Amino acid sequence: MLNNALYRLEPQAGETIDRAQTFTFTFEGRAVIAHPGDTIASALAAAGVHVISRSFKYHRPRGVMCMAGHCPNCLVQVGDEPNVRACQTPAEPDMVVKPQNVWPSLKKDAMAFTGLFSRFMPVGFYYKTFIRPQAMWPLFERILRRIAGLGKVNPATPPDRYDKQYLHTDVAVVGGGPAGLSAALAAAEQGATVSLFDENPQPGGHWRYALPAPDDGPLPDLAAQAEAHPGITVYPETTVLSCYEDNWLSARRGNRLFKIRAGAVIFATGAYDRPLIFDNDELPGVRFGGAAQRLLRLYGVQPGKRAIVVTANDGGWRIAAGLQAAGVSVVAVVDERPESEAGAVSHVLQADARVFWRHTIRAARGAGAVEGADIAPLDAQVRPQFIAGDLIVINIGLTPANGLLYQAQTKISYNEDRAEFLPETLPAGVFAAGRVAGSHAGATELAEGRLAGRQAAAFLGLAPAPPSAEITALAGQKAAGPKRSSARVDVPGSQKRFVCFCEDVTDKDLETAIAEGFDSIELLKRYSTISMGPCQGKMCAANTIHLCARHTGQSVAQTGTTTARPPLAPVSLGVLAGQNMEPVKRTALDAWHRANGAGMMVAGLWMRPEHYGNPPAEVQAVRERVGLIDVSTLGKLQLTGPGAPDFLDRIYVNKWQKLGVGRVRYGVMCNDEGVVMNDGVTARLSETTWYTTTTSSGAGAIFEWMQWWLQSGWGGEVHVTNISEVNAAFNLAGPRARAVLQKLTDADLLNEAFPYMHVRHLTLAGVACMVMRIGFTGELSYEIHCPTGAAHYVWERLLDAGRDFGIAPFGVEAQRILRLEKAHIIVGQDTDALSDPISADMAWAVKLDKADFLGQRPLRQVAQDGPAQRLVGFTMARPGLVPDEGLQIVRPTAAGPEIIGWVTSSRHSPTLNQTIGLCWLPAPLAGQPGATFTIRMNGKLEEARVHHGPFYDPQGDRLRI
Amino acid sequence: MSFKLIKQAFSSGQPPPMWKPQPLKDRYDVVIIGGGGHGLATAYYLAREHGITDVAVLEKRYIGSGGSGRNTAIVRSNYLTPEGVRFYDESVKLYGQMSEEFDFNVMFSRRGHLTLAHTDGAVRTMRRRAEVNRLQGVDSRLIWPDELARLCPPLDLSDHPRYPVQAALYHPPGGIIRHDAVVWGYARHAVRRGVHLHQLTEVTGITVEKGKVTGVNTRRGRIKAGTVLNVTAGWAGVIADMAGVKLPIATSPLQACVTEPLKPFLDVIIVSGSLHVYISQSDRGELVMGAAVDPFASYSMRGSFSFIEGLAGHMLELFPSLRHVRLMRQWAGLCDMTPDYSPIMGHTSVDGFLVDVGWGTYGFKAIPVSGKMMAQLIATGQTPDLIRPFRLSRFEEHNLVGEKGAASVGH
Ligand SMILES: Cc1cc2nc3c(=O)[nH]c(=O)nc-3n(C[C@H](O)[C@H](O)[C@H](O)COP(=O)(O)OP(=O)(O)OC[C@H]3O[C@@H](n4cnc5c(N)ncnc54)[C@H](O)[C@@H]3O)c2cc1C
Ligand code: FES
Repeated sequence: MLNNALYRLEPQAGETIDRAQTFTFTFEGRAVIAHPGDTIASALAAAGVHVISRSFKYHRPRGVMCMAGHCPNCLVQVGDEPNVRACQTPAEPDMVVKPQNVWPSLKKDAMAFTGLFSRFMPVGFYYKTFIRPQAMWPLFERILRRIAGLGKVNPATPPDRYDKQYLHTDVAVVGGGPAGLSAALAAAEQGATVSLFDENPQPGGHWRYALPAPDDGPLPDLAAQAEAHPGITVYPETTVLSCYEDNWLSARRGNRLFKIRAGAVIFATGAYDRPLIFDNDELPGVRFGGAAQRLLRLYGVQPGKRAIVVTANDGGWRIAAGLQAAGVSVVAVVDERPESEAGAVSHVLQADARVFWRHTIRAARGAGAVEGADIAPLDAQVRPQFIAGDLIVINIGLTPANGLLYQAQTKISYNEDRAEFLPETLPAGVFAAGRVAGSHAGATELAEGRLAGRQAAAFLGLAPAPPSAEITALAGQKAAGPKRSSARVDVPGSQKRFVCFCEDVTDKDLETAIAEGFDSIELLKRYSTISMGPCQGKMCAANTIHLCARHTGQSVAQTGTTTARPPLAPVSLGVLAGQNMEPVKRTALDAWHRANGAGMMVAGLWMRPEHYGNPPAEVQAVRERVGLIDVSTLGKLQLTGPGAPDFLDRIYVNKWQKLGVGRVRYGVMCNDEGVVMNDGVTARLSETTWYTTTTSSGAGAIFEWMQWWLQSGWGGEVHVTNISEVNAAFNLAGPRARAVLQKLTDADLLNEAFPYMHVRHLTLAGVACMVMRIGFTGELSYEIHCPTGAAHYVWERLLDAGRDFGIAPFGVEAQRILRLEKAHIIVGQDTDALSDPISADMAWAVKLDKADFLGQRPLRQVAQDGPAQRLVGFTMARPGLVPDEGLQIVRPTAAGPEIIGWVTSSRHSPTLNQTIGLCWLPAPLAGQPGATFTIRMNGKLEEARVHHGPFYDPQGDRLRI
Repeated sequence: MSFKLIKQAFSSGQPPPMWKPQPLKDRYDVVIIGGGGHGLATAYYLAREHGITDVAVLEKRYIGSGGSGRNTAIVRSNYLTPEGVRFYDESVKLYGQMSEEFDFNVMFSRRGHLTLAHTDGAVRTMRRRAEVNRLQGVDSRLIWPDELARLCPPLDLSDHPRYPVQAALYHPPGGIIRHDAVVWGYARHAVRRGVHLHQLTEVTGITVEKGKVTGVNTRRGRIKAGTVLNVTAGWAGVIADMAGVKLPIATSPLQACVTEPLKPFLDVIIVSGSLHVYISQSDRGELVMGAAVDPFASYSMRGSFSFIEGLAGHMLELFPSLRHVRLMRQWAGLCDMTPDYSPIMGHTSVDGFLVDVGWGTYGFKAIPVSGKMMAQLIATGQTPDLIRPFRLSRFEEHNLVGEKGAASVGH
C-alpha cells in the first residue's frame, strides 16, 4: 500500500472530490486510495506516484504533464482498455490500472536501454537500417513491432452497450469556459436554442482551476444562469470530436455518441499549455502550469513539494503564489521577461524564493524524476546554475485549442505579435470566442463570448447584427491585453530535447530531417512522424512549425500548418459503432420455414431457406409432382404512366412497346458498358401499369439505378415505385401445379385462357393475387404475388390444396439445380463484370435496332465482331465428378496450362443423373456441341464436353402443358 | 546496423540531403505532371534504364501529397484476370528488391493477405481467383475457418456476426509497405540521376499544336516539352482536359483511418468485400483501416463522419475485441475510377501526351511496374505487352479488363 496522503491537501474551494468517501484501485498491483471525483492520475499524484508510463521509442519514464488529456504521457491500460488517459479517466473502485509499454515493470524496463543507443536511432533510422541482408528484415520487423505500440488488446474483451443520439440546435457552443458560457447566454437571450458542450464535469473552463482561486466571481453566476436558462441545454463531460460540412458535429459522452446539426457553432474551446523545448523537457516532475493548477484546485493535490516555476507571463507568478499558499515551497521563479515588462507580481512570493528575470531553464535534472533544474540568463554566456526542486512548472504560453476551427475550414494564421496561431477568417455560421480567439483577460473573454452569441443569433436571423464598432472595439481591447505567450519555443542544450512526446522526436531529429530535404512542414511531419501520435499534434505541431521556419529560413506564417484531421480526441470504435444495426430482412414466411425444418442461408439482406433437408428430393417433387418456393425476396417494381414502355426500352436490351396487356416478358438489363446487370420478368398489367421483378440481391441497386436515369432526363410520364416488401411471392411449379391452383380459384386456368408468359389477376382462396405463368424451373409454373399480410394464409392454402398432389416446399438449392437443368443463368454467378448478353447466350433478347438504350454501343460492337468468349453448358466425361464453381478451364501448352475459360455453375443433376454445368469458353470452341476441353481440378485436368441448350426438356414442352 | 548510421552517429554533421532543389528550366525533353509514386517512378526508370535525364517532375504541392502518401499501402497480386495478375505480380517482385536497390528500407512486410468470403457467391469468386492466381504462379489459395483461425486468432469466426465468415482467399506474399518511403526512394534516386524535381509547381495548362503537345504552363512559368505525361491520379481528368483529351474517369474520395498504436494484435491483412472494410497493423502498432470508395464523385478531401461510423461497426463485426480501441485520425484521398476498375496507360489522341491514370483505389501497388513500363513506352515509343490491355482505346473497342470483382474493396 502506498502512503496515499503524502501529497493530499486540506479541502480546496471548488474541488471535485468527495472526501467523505474513499475506495481503492490498483496500479501495477499496488493499492491506491482515491475519492469519488478523483481521476486515476490525481489519485496517483496524491500518492506520490510520479512515473506513470514509458515512452514509445526510448522507453523513457513519463508522468503527468498536462493533466488535461492533451499529451501522451499518462496513457495506461485499464482492464481491457488500452491507451486510457489517466488524467481524464475517473478512478473507480477496484479498477486494475497498469502501465503500458513496460517490461517487466515500470521501474525496471528492459527496453529502456534503447535510450543509450539513441545516437544510432536518429530520425528516420528505420529507413536506413535492416536493409541487408534482406532475409533478416522479417525478424527485425518482428522485434521492432514488439518494441513499438502502446497498450494491449484483450482478445476476450466482453461486449458493452453503446448508443447514439441526434441533436438539433440553433447554436452549438463548444466549450463551457467564461467565453462559452457568456456566448450561450447571449445567444439564448436572443431566442436561440443553445446546446453547450464541455468535456469537464462542470462548466467553468480555466476559471475552475486558475490560481489563485477567486473568492467569488462572475463564474458561479454564469454557470448557474446557463443551467437555469430554458433555452440552454448543458452537456457536461461531453467532448466534441469533429466538425464537418454544414456544422455537422459529433460529440461523445461516455458510451454515447451525439450527432449534432447546428445552425451556427461557437467555438470557445480555450487554449492549452505550450511546451518549452529544453534538455530532458519531459522528465517526470516537469508539469505545465495548467497541470499544477488543476491538481491543486480540482483534486486538492500538491503537484510537488519544491517548485521551480518557469514563465514568460504574469500567470506564472499567480501560479507561484497559489502553490505557495498550498504549502508548496516555491524555490525559484524564472521569468524570461525583464522585470520592467512584468506586472506587479513579484511581491507575492515568500522571502526565500529566488527570482530570476531574463532567465530561462536550460535543463531538467534528475534520475527518473526531477531533482532540480539548470537555470541560465538569456543574455549572457554563463554557466547555468543548478537549483534543487522536485517540480518544474512550465508556463510560457498557450496554444489556442483550434483543432475544431481548422476542421471547420477556418483560415488561421500566425500572429507575430501575440506569438500564437489565431483565427483570421471564419466560415459563415462559425464563430470563435475566448482564449481560442486570443482573448485572455477575463473581461475580454466574457465580452467576446457575448458578442459571438449575438453574432450567431444574428446569423440565424434571430436578432440584428452587433454594430461593427463594437467588434472593432473588442479587437482593440484584445490587442491591448498583456501578452501571454512567448515566441521562444526552445532553449539550446546538449541532451535530449523532445519536441514530440508521442514518438520521442527531438529537435535535433527535426533539424536532421530538414537537412535531408524534408523541408516542408508536411514532408517533415511524415518523415519524423511528428504530430502523428496519440496527442495528435497538440503538444508538438506549433513548436515544429517554429523550428521548421527557423531551419528553412522562412517565417512561421510562410511555413504554414499541417492539416488538422478529425477526430479531435481519440474515440473508441465501440462508441463510433454504437449499436451497429445490421438489418436482417425476413419474408412473411420466415417462421414457417424455420418451423418446417428449413436450413436458412444469407441472401443479401435476406434470409432464405436453402433447403428443407433434401434438395434432390425437392427437385424430384417439382419434376414429378409439384413444389412451392418462397420467392418473396425478388425485387418488385411497379411502373406507371404512359412513358413506361419508353423507359423500359432504354434500360432493358429488349423491346417493350408491343408487349400486350396481360403478357409477360423476360428482360435483361445492361449498364453503359453493355455488361449484364440484372434480369427478371416484366408484365404489362394495363395499358399504363407495368410490374417488373429483379433479382433478390439486386432489388435495391436496380431501383436506385432506375431513379438515377429517371432523374437524369428519362423520367417523362413514368413513375417507379419499389414494392418489393409490399408483395410476397411464391412459385408453384410442377406438372400438377395447375391442378393445385385450380382448387383455390374458379378462374379458367387452361392453356387457352391463361397461356405461358401471361399474367392474370386471380382471387386465390379469397385473396386478390397477381399470377404470372412463367417458369425458371422448366415446369408448368405460376408465380403468385399477393399482399405480404396475406402471404402466410395463401401459402398454407396452397400447401393444403397440394396435399393430395404430393406438394413439397423447395429451397434455393433445389431451385439452383432445377434452373441449371434448364441452363438458365443467374446474373452475378454465371456472369461477371465483363459479361454482355450476347456472349452470355441471350442474343435473342438484344434488340439493337431500337432507339438508344443502355449498352447499345458496346453491344453493337460485340454483335459486329462476334463474341470472343461464350457462356455454354457442359457435361463431364467422367460421370459423378462435379467440378467446383470457379475452377478454371485450361489448355495444356508447352509453356504450361493456359487459361481459356472458367466454370460458373455446376451440379449433379438428380433428374438426369449426371454432372451438368455452365462455363465460359472461347467462342469457336463453345460453338461446337460435343467438343471436349479440360477443367483443372486439384491440379489434374478433367475432360468435359460442350453442351448446347437446356439439359432437360430442350424444347420447353413442359412449360406449356 | 548500417555503416552510414554509425558514421552519422559519431559525426557532428548532417546526413546528405535526399534531393536538392534545381532551377526550373524553360524546356525539358519530358515533363511529368504529378509528383506521386507513379510520376517519380517513371522519372527514375527513364533515367536508370534509358539514360533519359532531361526530365522534370512537376508537383503542385509536395511529393506524395496525393494518393501515394494517403493510401493504406496494400501490395498484392491476387487479381482476377490473367493480365491483371501478371502485371501486379511483376510489381510485387520489384517491391521485393526495392530496399536494396535504394539502400533505403521501404519496410515491405509480407504479412499475408486474406480476403474473407461471407457468402457462397464470394466463396465462388475466391476460388476463381485462387485458381487464376495459381495458374500464373502466384501463391494464393482458398482456406477454411480452421486455418483462418490459426492465421488470425482475434477474428470472430462464430455464427454471431450478421454475415458469418465462410472462407477466405489467402495470399501469403501480400503485404504492406511504408508508402512515403517508396515515394522518397524514387525521388532521391531520380534526382541523383539528373531528373529535376519541382515541388510547389502547379500545372495550369497544356499547349497542343496541330495535334501534338508542345509544353505546359505552370504557376512558375511556361515549360516546353515534346513529351508530357499525366500522372495526376485524382486530378487526371482535369489535366487531360487541359490537353483536350476526355478520359472515362470519375473522381471519388476514398477514406481511411488509424487507431492509436497497440502492441502486435494482427499479423495479417484482412479484407472483407461484403462488409466493405479492410484492416492491417502498421509496424508502429496503429491499426490502419479503410473501406470502399465513397459512393459519389467529388474532389473533397474532408472526409465524413458516416465513414468512420460505418467502418467501426463493420470492424467490430469482424473483431469484437477492438471496441475499446481508439480511432485517432481519419483522412481522404482522391481516386480516379474507371468503368472497369483498371488503369489507363499509354498514348492518347494528342501526340506526345501520355497518361498513366485511372489508378483508382489500387494504384499504389503498381508503382514500380507502371513506372518501368511507362518509361519504356516513352523511351521506345512502343507499348510494352504487359500494359497493352490497359490502353485508352479499349473503351472504344469494347475490350475492357474485368477486375471489378477483385479490385473494389481490396485495393
Ligand atoms: C485512402 C486510400 C487508400 C488506398 N489504398 C491503397 C492500397 O492499399 N493499395 C494500393 O495499391 N492503392 C491504394 N490506394 C490508391 C493509390 O493511393 C493510388 O492509386 C496511387 O497512389 C496513385 O499514385 P499516383 O502517383 O498516380 O498519384 P498521386 O500520388 O495522387 O499523385 C498525383 C500527384 O499529382 C499532383 N497534381 C495534381 N494536379 C496537379 C497539377 N495541376 N500540377 C502539378 N501536380 C499536380 C498531386 O498533387 C499529386 O501529388 C489508396 C488510395 C487512397 C486514397
Ligand atoms: S497528463 Fe494526461 S494527457 Fe497529459
